[in-house]
This record gives sequence, structure tokens and C-alpha cells, in this order.
Amino acid sequence: MLLPSFTYHRPGGLAEALAMLDGFGGQAKLLAGGTDLLVNMKHGKQAPAQLIDLDGLAELKASGSRGDALELGAGLKAAAIAGGLGGAAPQALAQGAGALGSPQVRNRASLGGNLVTARPAADMCVPLLALGARVALVSPAGERQVDLPEFFLGPGLTALHPSEVLTRVLLAKPRPGEGSGYGKLGLRKALEIPLVNVAAWLALEADGKTIKEARVALGAAAPTPMLSPGAAKALAGATAGDDAFAAAAFAAAADARPIDDHRGSAEYRRDMVAALTKRCLGQALAQARGN
Amino acid sequence: MSAAYDVIGSRVPRKDAAPKATGQAVFIEDLRFKGELAGALLQSPHAHALIKSIDVSKAKALPGVVEVITAADVPRVKYGVSPARYDEDLFAVNKVRYVGDEIAAVAAEDLETALKAAALIKVEYEPLPRLLSVEEATAEGAPWIHDEFPNNVCAEVHQEFGDVATAFKECDLIQEGRFVSKRQDAAFIEPNQCVAIYGQDGMLTLHSSTQVPHYVQRTVSMVTGLPMSKVRVVKPYVGGGFGPKAAATPIDLAASFLALRSGRPVRMAYTREQVFSFGRARHGFTHEMKIGVKKDGSLMALEHRATLDGGAYSSFGIATVYYAGSLLGGPYKLPNMKYDGRRIYTNKPACGAQRGHGGVIARALFEQQLDIIAERLGMDPVELRLQNMMETGDVTCNDLAMSSLGMRQCIEAVAQGSGWKQKKGALPKGKGIGIACGFFVSGAGYPIYRSETYHCTVTIKADEDGGGVKVFTAAAEIGQGSDTTMAIIAAEALGIPYDMVRIESGDTDFGIDLGAYSSRTTLMTGHATKEAAENLKEVILGELAGELGIDRRRLDIKRGLVKIAGEAVDIAPLRVRYQKEHRGWLSQPEGGQLTFNEASRLACLRRGTLVATGKYKPPVLGGKFKGAAVGTSPAYGCSAQVAEVSVDMETGQITVERVTDAHDCGQAINLTSVEAQMQGSVAMGLGEALFEEVKFDEAGRVMNPSLGEYHIPTIMDMPAVDCIVVESGEPNGPFGAKEVGEGAIMPTIPAILNAVRDAVGLTIDETPLTPERIYMALKKAK
Repeated sequence: MLLPSFTYHRPGGLAEALAMLDGFGGQAKLLAGGTDLLVNMKHGKQAPAQLIDLDGLAELKASGSRGDALELGAGLKAAAIAGGLGGAAPQALAQGAGALGSPQVRNRASLGGNLVTARPAADMCVPLLALGARVALVSPAGERQVDLPEFFLGPGLTALHPSEVLTRVLLAKPRPGEGSGYGKLGLRKALEIPLVNVAAWLALEADGKTIKEARVALGAAAPTPMLSPGAAKALAGATAGDDAFAAAAFAAAADARPIDDHRGSAEYRRDMVAALTKRCLGQALAQARGN
Repeated sequence: MSAAYDVIGSRVPRKDAAPKATGQAVFIEDLRFKGELAGALLQSPHAHALIKSIDVSKAKALPGVVEVITAADVPRVKYGVSPARYDEDLFAVNKVRYVGDEIAAVAAEDLETALKAAALIKVEYEPLPRLLSVEEATAEGAPWIHDEFPNNVCAEVHQEFGDVATAFKECDLIQEGRFVSKRQDAAFIEPNQCVAIYGQDGMLTLHSSTQVPHYVQRTVSMVTGLPMSKVRVVKPYVGGGFGPKAAATPIDLAASFLALRSGRPVRMAYTREQVFSFGRARHGFTHEMKIGVKKDGSLMALEHRATLDGGAYSSFGIATVYYAGSLLGGPYKLPNMKYDGRRIYTNKPACGAQRGHGGVIARALFEQQLDIIAERLGMDPVELRLQNMMETGDVTCNDLAMSSLGMRQCIEAVAQGSGWKQKKGALPKGKGIGIACGFFVSGAGYPIYRSETYHCTVTIKADEDGGGVKVFTAAAEIGQGSDTTMAIIAAEALGIPYDMVRIESGDTDFGIDLGAYSSRTTLMTGHATKEAAENLKEVILGELAGELGIDRRRLDIKRGLVKIAGEAVDIAPLRVRYQKEHRGWLSQPEGGQLTFNEASRLACLRRGTLVATGKYKPPVLGGKFKGAAVGTSPAYGCSAQVAEVSVDMETGQITVERVTDAHDCGQAINLTSVEAQMQGSVAMGLGEALFEEVKFDEAGRVMNPSLGEYHIPTIMDMPAVDCIVVESGEPNGPFGAKEVGEGAIMPTIPAILNAVRDAVGLTIDETPLTPERIYMALKKAK
């Protein structure tokens, strides 16, 4: 239970970090908040010889908008996102960040760390999936952008190459007539890994009633956070309200592929996907309508 | 505050408040000794296996390793909690019985080396069938975990009081129920840790995070063979105990042996994972009962059976299985009771004592059944309880004497405080309200080992300058506030302000004290402290009377001043003597009355150091039947709680919105501490009711050995708790005081169960009440 020995590096900029990463040739791990990595190292699940701390990289701390896009630095702390980033953070993401761990954990855990750890029910991954986010991955060769559904490959597995750093998360800036919501179910009301979590996003037509487009993302329902195609289909073009949301909930439960484990049964998880889907859509609609 | 008292019943700040708030309080982790070695254990990865061979050569050869010991290196002395079941070896002899069973210990220059060395010990195992449940352990042909205990029965209890069979025939209504609970962990915040030091004077000093310095001293003495006078156990501040720290641990013993052999201080500590794999906390219970009542609601008879999943060793388990029976004797009038209990050995960590020892699940089921009976009879649950409850002076069918019992006041207080009459039956679906009661011992009537020993002794010494006193007690402050309690009692008994009392505790050099368990300290050590303080006062006033040439009986001390009854006495000569000693000092005694300082200083001048002692042991208590000792106590605290919950009918999530809690503690010594115990009990009971379960995989390993995956309540889960302190005045308690430590947890689980039943209309017969359990029950009922 002791932290194994490792060499600690603290680059001052992204280029330096990338060069180090390249130089260690797979022997290094990137350290952001450490709330997953250091715990895993203490449990002997990982033993990297080199740790490259990204906390000194100003490039990863910035957030701002570029045209219609919102860019969030991967080094942003969950606590800052939970605080709303001065109103810039979409509702579901702020809720997800605020539901992560405890205040102490949120003060350390980073946006990028939550994404690359890629747990099937990560509190920020599920909202970002519903929000249609993509991630910027930078290597010495340059930057590429990957949509989240292609980024998550399995529990703890992502499309991030060993030579890359996840630097930014890109998503569309929230517009009037759009809304999002997040729901999480656990045993207790804080410090909880979700038994099931769901995020929903929807955009209304100008009539304020018809759903133009919607996405529902599910956590703990598959090996990775997943989008429910059935829910999206059930919602598109439908009149926002209980009937459409019930149909979406039904479809989301059908899409979910949960497992039985000691935290909960597949049957319960599937039913909860439906219950939370309805609630998240309700939150999203309320926001879209401006109340 | 009670008018009769100056300090008792007040809200003086705890003695440990400032040091704990500022971080200056010293815990084991803060103690450092010159030349410390780090110890580590090798623990079994198998739940049940024979040991074919152990090879420590590689571990011994590792640079930095100082000692490696196994069963071959220590005396073969079986130990445990109850002498009737000494079934543990420090290191496994031929066989391991649970994942975590101790095989060897290593001392090295640093922890990394010690851990590495432990991993280098090569053990050859021959796995045996794993018995991970009561069903597996009691199946025909199951191997015996201990050769001495056939069919894995660790303990059996069969008791009958009155005539249950005849009583049932006279009943109008019979209610039967069954309840299953899971193994739970106390989740104390400080994992066990110790440092053993063997001095060149032949003295072994063990600093340990324990609730019971005395029992640890005895066990270390018995197992090492050192005389008790050569073993000193010292407890610094402790981060909680709740029962599982009420016995010597393998690290206490292993560190002692490693220190004896190396001559250097040895530190050993459990990680949180090891705390879980060592266990000793709440048993998993399967409890069945049958209750018979008359049409008017009078309780006539109870027949009940409990089966406890004990784990690999006995620990406190014999007491647990007895308590599961005896603690249903009250607080209701119940003339006939039959109990059959069994504790079964399984290949899991041993279970032991935890807050509300043995009685919590029995109480939960019984109180749940009472609500069902009330419903079947068309009675209000509050009325049913009021009708049957005992009163001061009543004796249970199993000979427990209620020398004070404010049960009625508690029930009425929570019914009124919660608005029961307006809410019961009037809440919408998904909202519910429930009541439950409970009672608990104020200290076990007998020590764990058979002995006529005093349960506690206290020494008080006056400061030579007269400025205050110091209390020395071996009682264990583990966060429950016993230091504060004893300081208040000493201040009250002496008639001096609280801040004139200092306290040293938790050291076996200070006397005997059985420790912090069975909610005993306030009553028992309180008596000894009171007696010591009164004796000291007697000495001081005796000397003063001699000096003044008046009758001692004219003198008293109140609020730090000497009261002289009758005609005026000239105090000037004494004051002048005191002032002459303090020439140049800015503060001098003033006013027309002598101060305690002057009186105490004068007594020191006449007699030298002033020391007085006090002691306590309960009178002979209880019945003569087998097991009568378990449940006897000089006094019983009692309580009632009303829980209000809302249940999310779509997810099954329960929110406890409010708890109204009344507890009869006889007399509050420190009102704030009483309320804190009540609130803490609600938190613990709420966690046990809703979330907590230690889970095992098919190999017998704990699956959730962390406070991330073993869910205790957070502040976000806590309801508002309205605390109502009831003071019935206990004749057998110091200043009328009795327990609030463990009894307060008794009603919490059943109050929540009853509120959930009220909210959803279903009887849930298994804890924890997870959202899934509730949701599935609702789904099934649809």
C-alpha cells in the first residue's frame, strides 16, 4: 500500500511535456489530479517509472469560446467546472462535475483525467457525451480531434496514443432553446461511484415545443459511456413532454447493456436508466424553455 | 442546567476540543521514538487451508530486515476475548481460517523493506473447502474450522423465562417475522496502530490505539509470558472504536514480540484494507421471532431464534449471541420469553462487538413486528408501546432491574416533537413516519474474565500550590468524551470550577479500568472519580477544620470557595500566610471567603502531597441461569426515536428527512456531549439501515475494503436530528447519570424500517435498505 518509487517531472509547457513523453518511450504516465493514477499505483495496479505532472501547463488551464465552439482546457479542475466557469459550462457538465467525489476530490480531479481514465460511469464523461463533445489530442506530430464516441474504447481504454496529451475538450456553445441535464444514482448522496448515470441534451425548434435534436448518454450501462441511438431517434421531431420522454426512456433502457455485479443487478440498472432518462430530459427541457 | 449542580449538566467545552480543533492532539501516528523499526504482517491469501511449510530464509536475508517471526518463534498460548473461547493463535499453527489470518511478522529498518520481506516468505498451502456462509458451515459433512468445535458451532444459547408455550395459547394474535442483516464495519476513522518498546529495565510499553488498555495489557502479558507489572499499555488520543477496538489485536501482540526480540521500538499499523480483513465488527444476523399479544395489545410472549455468522474466531461472539437474546427482555413488559441462539464459525474475518452489541437487529425486528401488530389490532404504534412499556422499578423476565426508566417521557417527547398525531396515517404515498424504542446496559455487570476486581480505580492529586487538581484514570478516552465527563464529575464533587481540573487517562499505570465498552465509563469510572474527589475534599476540609479549630461538618466547598456554616470565623491569619508565600504576585485571593486555593495549599503545607482514590464495581446483579451475566448492569438507558422518510418510488432511494430522538441518560453530565452521542448514533444507525454491507467474493476476500466502497453516511445523507434529553435520575449512577453511548443506536434502524413501511406499504425484511432492494420490492408488489 506504499506508493512505488518513481521519478517526478514537472514540465513548464506542452512542448516540453510532449518531448518528455516521447523520450521515455512508454515508461511514463501523465499525472493530472492523481485521483485515479496515484490510487491505482498505491494498489499496485500501475507502476510507471516516470510521472509527468501536467499541473504546470498553462495551456491546459484555459477555457474560452472560439466562434460557436466552447473550448475547455483538460487541466480544469472538477471544482471549477462544478462552479459553472462563469456561466459558460453547460448545465449537465456542471452537474456532473459537482457530483464527482467530494470537495477534496473535486479540487484535484481534472477534466482530462476523468476522460482518459474512461470509467464506464465517469461523472464528466457521460454529460460530455450527451453534449456532443470531442477532444483535442496533441502529439509532437500535431493535433487531431476525436469525437467522444470514438474516443472511449473500453473500461480504462481510449483512443489516446502513448505519445499524445489530451489538451482540450471542444463542444458547441449552449444556445437559447437548448438544455441539458444530468442524473446520478448511488447508495448515498455524495462520494459515490454511480450505479447508473444519465445525461441528456436537447434542442427545441423555434416553436418551443418540437424537439429538433436530442442526445441521451448512459453510464454504467456498457463497458464505456454510451449514447442511446434509440432515445435520440424517439426524441427527434417529437413534441417535448412526458410521452416523448417515456418513449425515450424505454428506448434508452433497451439500448443499455448493463451487467450484474456486487453494486447492483442488470435488471435494476436497466430500469434506472429509464427513470433517470426521463428526469434528465425533464431538466433539459426546463432549461431549454428558460425556466 | 440542573439548578442543583454547578458544572454537571452544563455545556463546558470538551477537554480535547482545542487540541483536536488545532491539530495538536497526539495520536499514535504522531508519536515517534528513537530507533523505531517498522513491522509488517504476512497474512493468508486463502480463506481455509493447511500450511504445509513456511520458509522465511529469503525474508531474513533481505538487507534491513531485523526480525522475522512465525508460530515457531512464539509461545503456544491461545488467546481471545472470553476465557471460555480462547481460540486464537497469534500466528497460524498448521492452518489458516480466513483471508487475512496472520502467519508471520517482520520488523525492518523501514516499512518498504518490511513489506518486501513479508512478501518473500514462502508458504506452501493445501487449500481446504471454504465455508463462507452459515449454510455452508452447517451443511452435513462440512469440515470443522476448529477441531475443538464440532459442526462449526461456536456457541449456543437456550433460554426460557416463564412459560412461552402456555402463554401463546392465551394469546389473541400471533405475529411472526424474520429478518436478515449483513456483516457491517464500524468504520472508525483511525485504523489500528501501535508501537511496542522493550526497555532495558525489562518493561514492555505498548502504545496502542485501543478502547481497552487493561484487556490489552492482560492479553499481552498472558501471551508473552511477561508479568502484568512488566507490561504497560498507554493509549493516546484514539480516532474512534465503536467495539472492534475492544481487544488486543494481532499487531499489538506481534509488535510486542518483535520489540522483545529486537530491543528496539516496533511500530505496526493496519491499512484500511487490513481493518476490513481483520473485522471484529457487527455480525450478520438471521433473526426469527414469534410474538403473542392479547386483543388489548398486551404483550404476552416472545419466542425467537438468532443465527450469527461469526467468522473464523470467537472474539466477543459469545457475548454477542447472548445479548441478541437478553436485550429483548425490556423495555416492554414481557412475561414470557424463549430464546435460542447460535453463533457459527465461517471462513471469514471474525465478527465481534459493535455499538449496541448484539441487540441491534433483534431490536429492529422486534420493533418492526410491533408496528405490524399495532396495524393488525387497529392500534396506534405509539399507543401500543406506551401500553406495554416498563417503568422505574420493573424487573424483566430475565432479571434485569430497571432502577430508572424514563421510557414514557421518551415516547411522549418524540411523539410530540415529531407531530406524530398529525402525520401518522396522513402522509402521501412515498412519505412515511415510524417510531421505535430501545434500551441498553450502562456497563456490563461483570468483567470479561471472571474476577472480583474493581472495574475502575481513580486517583486524584491536588496541585501543591492549591491551584487545582489532576485526575488520573486508566479509562479510555476514544473520542466519546470520557476525559471531559470525569473532569466535570471531579469538579462538581470537589466544588471547584471545571478549568481547575486536569486529567490524565488511558494508561495502565494509573490503575485499573476495564475500558470503553458496554457504555460503562460514565457510570462506573464516574463513580470512582466522584468517590476520589469526595475523598480529596474530605482531606482538604479536614485539615482546614483543624487549622481553624472548628468542626469539619461546618465546612464545604462550592464554586471554588470555602463555605463556613454558623458563626463567623476569622480567616485573616490563613489569608496572610497564603499572601506571604506569594509576595510580589499580582493576583491574590480576595473577598470574605477563603478560596479553594488557600484551603488546598494549607492542606498541602500540613500533609505534603494530597492524594485521594476512588473505586467502583457493581454489586452482585442478575439471575442465576446460564448466561445471566450478559445483560446485567447497574442501570439501563432507554430511548425512543421517530424517523420521517421519503422514498423515491421510481428509484427506491430513501431520504431520511428528520429524526426526533429522545434519550434517558439519567442525568446529563455534559449536555453537548449527550447530544453528540445521540446524533452520532443516528448517523451510525442510518448507515447500517440504508447502506452498509461488507461484501465477500467467492474466495472469501472482502470486495469493498475502503470507505469509498463501504458506504457510511456523509453529511449530505444526514437528516436534521432533534435531540431531547430525558433525565430520570438513576439511583445507581454518579449524580444520577447512566449511558447514552450505545443505547442511542437501538431505535434508529427500526424507526427507519417502520417509516419506510409506512411510506411504501411494504415490510422489508433485510438490511441494508438499498435503493435496489426497495425498488425491487415495489416492482414485485405491482
